[in-house]
Amino acid sequence: MHKLRDAPGDAEARLRAELEDIACKGEVYVLGLGNTDRADDGAGVLVAQALKKPFPGFSFSEHDGVEGTALDISEKRVEATVFFVDAANLRAPPGAIKVVRAEDVNEKEITTHRVAVALMASLLENSGKKVAVICIQPGRIEFQGAVTAEVKASIGTVTKALAALMSAKD
Amino acid sequence: MRELNIENLARVEGHGGITVTLDGKKVKNVTLDIHEGPRLIEQLVKGMTPADDVNVVPRICAICTLSHRFAAIRGLEKALGIKAPEKAAWTRELMMLGENVESNSLHTMLLALPDFLGYPSAVAMLNDHADDVKRALRLKKFGNHVMTVTSGRIVHGENPVVGGFGKYPSKKALEEIKLKSHELVPDAVRVVEIFASLEYPAYAEAETLFMSVNAPRKQYGYYGDTILISNGKEASAEDYKKLTNERVVSHSFAKRSLYQEKTFTVGANARLINMGKRLDGQAADLFKEHYSDKWLKNPLYNNLAQAIEMLWSLEHMPEIADKVASMDDPGIEQPTRMNGSGTGAVEAPRGVLYHHYEIKDGLVDVADIITPTAQNLDDIEKHMKLTAERMLAEGKKDEEVRLGLEMVARAYDPCISCATHLVTLKRV
Repeated sequence: MHKLRDAPGDAEARLRAELEDIACKGEVYVLGLGNTDRADDGAGVLVAQALKKPFPGFSFSEHDGVEGTALDISEKRVEATVFFVDAANLRAPPGAIKVVRAEDVNEKEITTHRVAVALMASLLENSGKKVAVICIQPGRIEFQGAVTAEVKASIGTVTKALAALMSAKD
Repeated sequence: MRELNIENLARVEGHGGITVTLDGKKVKNVTLDIHEGPRLIEQLVKGMTPADDVNVVPRICAICTLSHRFAAIRGLEKALGIKAPEKAAWTRELMMLGENVESNSLHTMLLALPDFLGYPSAVAMLNDHADDVKRALRLKKFGNHVMTVTSGRIVHGENPVVGGFGKYPSKKALEEIKLKSHELVPDAVRVVEIFASLEYPAYAEAETLFMSVNAPRKQYGYYGDTILISNGKEASAEDYKKLTNERVVSHSFAKRSLYQEKTFTVGANARLINMGKRLDGQAADLFKEHYSDKWLKNPLYNNLAQAIEMLWSLEHMPEIADKVASMDDPGIEQPTRMNGSGTGAVEAPRGVLYHHYEIKDGLVDVADIITPTAQNLDDIEKHMKLTAERMLAEGKKDEEVRLGLEMVARAYDPCISCATHLVTLKRV
């Protein structure tokens, strides 16, 4: 069966609807993960950086210390939703986007370099926050490589969808 | 003949595994296999300026990033005939205290503790011990903050440079560090109490040697020009090759070290065994209360040592922050010569780290980096072999033996990424 390509804005609208379905009434936080020295692996950080200026205090990246940020949000006595954004191998074409709910995050281990997303997600959920991970399939993760066109487009889609959601909560 | 494998050693930095080769019930061999690829950093920096070198070498590791930077700066300053200003020396001490708190809090509470409490991970521990997990994250966050304030960034900060600092912390930031470090002391005391209350299985017990730097001013600390050995000897850091005797083994991308044909330990337990009497404050009281001869044989006590040391680092911060705040910002000292050599020895959270440089016409001609994990690997294998033999002799199940071995390896807080530097792998 022939599959029609998305019209401009369709992917963003679909993603926004999915995020709205997860988000609670309260504040929305974005925590971007990854390594910008490794091309598409830095997708989450680039999304967080793009949202930092319009939403100061609500968008954070690896450079801000995500564990500490997650701890701070967990201790806030407000309703809140936290979206982690990270590059992940979804075994899908580069740029594919998937929203994974906290209960489906399988990463269990912590290394000395970073606390696992699963621990931060559990910590946030234990304090009554809503959590999900927005995953972007990387195409290239070579050291100092350029971000691929597909992932660049997905960074734009995720940024716009989150910005729309955050503006609505503002 | 059968093998008992732990293909991927979890809750350590980097990729490694453990292989136990058994002949019947006899343990023939135990190896810690390093799968992480060679990093080639020492060759990469050849021909670089010292300023570029200190920006490249911290990339070896994002957790000991400041230790690598500090060791490189110390080696390069010696080679270039530079004496850093006093304010730079104190600011460097402060950044090392921050790194120590950041690393030790993560390792003790989130990587090592789950094994002792019977949880598969810190995630699983969260339901029953949320307050302690949060305590660890609070300490880690503060350690990261001190690293950011002193070095300029949370990871790979570029403020510490050869000859001084690009920018010194503001008085306001130093005052905040002073207040917050004081506020977090009860959290660190709790971590010590947790690790002092644990039972440490004796399977790994064996005599070994301990090496650490001899910190200046007869105080406890994280850098020095000489190396203390627990046999009572002391050697110049410039003689690091005689202390480490690096060699290559076929099952690992990391080099190995022996001192006078014997394995040795570096790390928090080595620091406390060699310099524990120099501690002060509550850290000194708790060290006196909990130290025993078992520390000399059982590597699992490195966890308790890290907890006590983290408390000392926090207790020590206000004094150092005050010293830094009281001094005017000096300029960056310049080289007095363009040819020379020097070795910088610092205590990374997981043990002595050496950076040796030979400078020719102002450029790096030779770089030699010896990491703590590379020094510990033979010692880890020795203690793991004993653990496997003793546990199997007691009829322990394979799963129990696997956990016992993982606990021993993890106790050393190995950083496998750091350990895999420039190795020529020979297969025969």
